Amino acid sequence: MILIIGGKAQGKRSFVMQQDPETVLTDGAHCSPEDALRAACVFNYHDLIQNLLHAGDDPAAFTKRLCTDNPNCKIILNEIGSGVVPLDPAERRMRETVGICGCILAEHAETVVRMTCGIPTVLKGHIS
Amino acid sequence: MTVLITGGSKCGKSRLAESLLGDFSGRKIYLATMQPFGSEAEAAISRHRIQRAGKGYETIEQYTNLDSLRVPEQAAVLLECMGNLLANEMFSDNVADDPCAAVLRGIRHLQRNAAHLIIVTNQVGSDGITYPAETERYIRNLGTVNAACAAASDLVVECVYGIPVVLKGELPCCIR
Repeated sequence: MILIIGGKAQGKRSFVMQQDPETVLTDGAHCSPEDALRAACVFNYHDLIQNLLHAGDDPAAFTKRLCTDNPNCKIILNEIGSGVVPLDPAERRMRETVGICGCILAEHAETVVRMTCGIPTVLKGHIS
Repeated sequence: MTVLITGGSKCGKSRLAESLLGDFSGRKIYLATMQPFGSEAEAAISRHRIQRAGKGYETIEQYTNLDSLRVPEQAAVLLECMGNLLANEMFSDNVADDPCAAVLRGIRHLQRNAAHLIIVTNQVGSDGITYPAETERYIRNLGTVNAACAAASDLVVECVYGIPVVLKGELPCCIR
């Protein structure tokens, strides 16, 4: 598993496509959890987490299952935790859950890459 | 050489930019892109002026269309900052049709005509907030121009609370 993180518009998807131009990208904002379990690459994983929360599912449990059932998946996860703590409890929960799921993914991933201005920084493992 | 300096708010980007040109013996142009709207902008401008005082910079204020700027020969240009420049191209009275293209035309023009170009930009979009569409468009555009500038730069540095983290190239002690 490769985890690609970074803020909005930092070149996360471009990095995946540069590594392998054939990669099929699955949008976490619109796919079902089952789609994610079979996907080669899920982007907007933070949106999938939000959808799971809205559906009353446990995103942390799902993320663990994804790590086990789809171990070669590439996950693109936005970094969203660097703002002020949101006043709205649902937003707070969302932000915290993304952090928790990010830790699970980073722990299972052999490679973690953080994108800044289109430049990859390898935080864990190595890239070819 | 071309340098891109990024990072969050008030983390030492300008200081690093100025220190890179500390030993540069040619003309140094401070290219200010922030329009002085309101007291906060004026305070920021005056703070940066004090920081630059005695360091030999000539200040040029230009808010859009940097490709029309006449750069003195063999001068070093410190552009501060990309966030304002893009906002001006997107939201000011004479909005560019394609703001990213307008910004990047200006950058290429400066690269061709200056001895050195130091670009100060910003990291936005890591706070998890979904903004109104116009702001989201600004965040995406800033990401796009930052990535294009980084690709065209010899050195890319992220400032983290005053600590320079090199993302591309090698940090020289100073540029001559």
